[in-house]
Amino acid sequence: MTDITKPVDAPPRSHLSGDLVQLLYRLLAALLVCVLLALLSDSFLSMSNILNVLRQTSLLFFIASGLTLVVLTGGLDLSVGANVALSACLAGTVIQHTGSPSLGVLTGLLTGGVVGLLNGVMVTALRIPSFIATYGMLWVLNGLTYWYMAGETIHGFPPGFRQIGSGYLFGLPIPVYLLLIFLAIGTVFAQRTIWGQEIYALGANPVAARLSGIPVARRLLLVYCVSGTMAGLASIIFLARLNSAEADIGESLTLPAIAAVLIGGTSLFGGVGTVFGTFIGALILTLVLNGMNLLSINANWQPFITGVIVILAVWLDMTTRRHKL
Amino acid sequence: MTPVKQLTCLALPLVLCGSLATAARADGETVAVFTKNQTNPFFQTIRVGADLAAKTLNAKTQHYIPTKPDSIPEQLSQIEDVVVKKPDAIVFIPVDYKAMVPGIEKINDAKIPAVNVTDRSAGGQFVAFVGADDYNLGLETGRYLLKALGGKGNVVIIEGVKGSLTSVDRVRGFNDAIKENAGVKLLASQPGNYQRLQALQVMENLMQSNSQIDGVLAANDAMAVGAIEALDGANRKAQVIGINGTKEAVDAVKSGKLLATGDYNGFAQGCIGTMIAIRTLRKQPVVSEIVLKPTVITKDNYQPFDVALETRTCPSWDEAAKFATK
Repeated sequence: MTDITKPVDAPPRSHLSGDLVQLLYRLLAALLVCVLLALLSDSFLSMSNILNVLRQTSLLFFIASGLTLVVLTGGLDLSVGANVALSACLAGTVIQHTGSPSLGVLTGLLTGGVVGLLNGVMVTALRIPSFIATYGMLWVLNGLTYWYMAGETIHGFPPGFRQIGSGYLFGLPIPVYLLLIFLAIGTVFAQRTIWGQEIYALGANPVAARLSGIPVARRLLLVYCVSGTMAGLASIIFLARLNSAEADIGESLTLPAIAAVLIGGTSLFGGVGTVFGTFIGALILTLVLNGMNLLSINANWQPFITGVIVILAVWLDMTTRRHKL
Repeated sequence: MTPVKQLTCLALPLVLCGSLATAARADGETVAVFTKNQTNPFFQTIRVGADLAAKTLNAKTQHYIPTKPDSIPEQLSQIEDVVVKKPDAIVFIPVDYKAMVPGIEKINDAKIPAVNVTDRSAGGQFVAFVGADDYNLGLETGRYLLKALGGKGNVVIIEGVKGSLTSVDRVRGFNDAIKENAGVKLLASQPGNYQRLQALQVMENLMQSNSQIDGVLAANDAMAVGAIEALDGANRKAQVIGINGTKEAVDAVKSGKLLATGDYNGFAQGCIGTMIAIRTLRKQPVVSEIVLKPTVITKDNYQPFDVALETRTCPSWDEAAKFATK
């Protein structure tokens, strides 16, 4: 959001150096929340709680990281939560009927990816604004999921499959490995590949991007597909962690994912932001909830405190950057 | 709708010729059933109960469910549609017990008899209210857990949606059950918003700051099952209870993972609400309030709940009338 105030003086020369400085400030906000929590609660800095927070961050990060690419192009994907719900329900059914976790994983990723592809087609070929296209998609997906599930819950999956969500490898939770892997892939893709740079360029100035020969439609299709597939991945993690799925699991996921992207410093106007920033955004949101639970803050006050901390985190980040840059 | 009306018209002279003694008994009435959403299994149990009761009595149901779960404007516009279509009777669960009062007044103006189910409306005229008592449900299910713990130990509460009547009353019941046991310590009461994922994360977080948790009181089944997953993931054990008596919870009780679930009895509520609506139309005696007694589903009594909803049978009118409170 900072970028509304000064979109011109940060031209995308080399993303790395400028972004690195920005990221340090974002980390600062997250660190401040951590220091505060460490002072208030003895259990906060324990290794098991740190792993716990990272594992909880992973689900939000998967959804938000794909969304980051969409927002970088100046678009928005409101269908991610509904996509997670449908993908989870279909993947869950496949696992229960075939007994094969890998077929289930494939179903979840494919469903997510196809939904993303349809979003991309609506945005590029039909030229529907992304907000409306994905808002419409949200309803279509909800309708399909409600009809398919008819108020039922799918539950009970093989222990092997559930390892993806609740298992450990060398003392680290498996979702944390996935988080690190996708954080690395996302960062390298966005910062170091031509496709990634083209996505930044078309978000910063779509007309210039088209004139300079960037295949705009194909890159847009790609980002919506990635966003959908990441929602599919999130649905798998959800299934494996919770051992069940129902039609309404997506509703509470979309807004926090968008918030994580924006808290992480990605501009709604496109062209500015990083996947790592989104990770920090997701981390801050998770830390706030973790801290409130550790401190047993009265349930009535939790929404209020969440709001204040989110606003403070972004404000702190903006002011420090204004002074230094 | 139309074929039903025609049938009624055809049937009417026959009934009149047949026997005037059985009064205004006519088949084929249409009952419009309003529920809050398509996502919560509880409302599915209401709808199945309503359908079965109507089928048994040779009447028909039409369901009105907001496409956006619990949407106030959508339920209001559905009421407007229904008032134009004029069903014979209405079974009504308000998505919000205060905000829907103007909607009920429209139904009253159209002179369609309505039965209020589950959430007691703050206003408007109803033939009857049928519901369960959230407070007692929380109290009884909580007591069962504390008894299993031997009246001592550390417990946590996972609350539902803040400000919702059901959560407030259930949590009040939990707290009162805890107060009866001096040896039980309430470590935390944290919000899970009736969501599985949130409850899982709340439980994971609470386990970080509390090395010993013996019991978990969750305000619905989805959260209870989420808490169990968190405990399993951390290789820790605690007794867990939920509320609603969903199929998933009954399965978990059966397998010994969940200690108990309080049956909110949606099926019976749907049955009895619809029976009252149809009996009113047929000028048969009804009662104006039924509050179902809480049932705690445990490993000792889960069998009747361990069947597909569609194969359960509605209580008879005499059985239902026993619960009359007014």
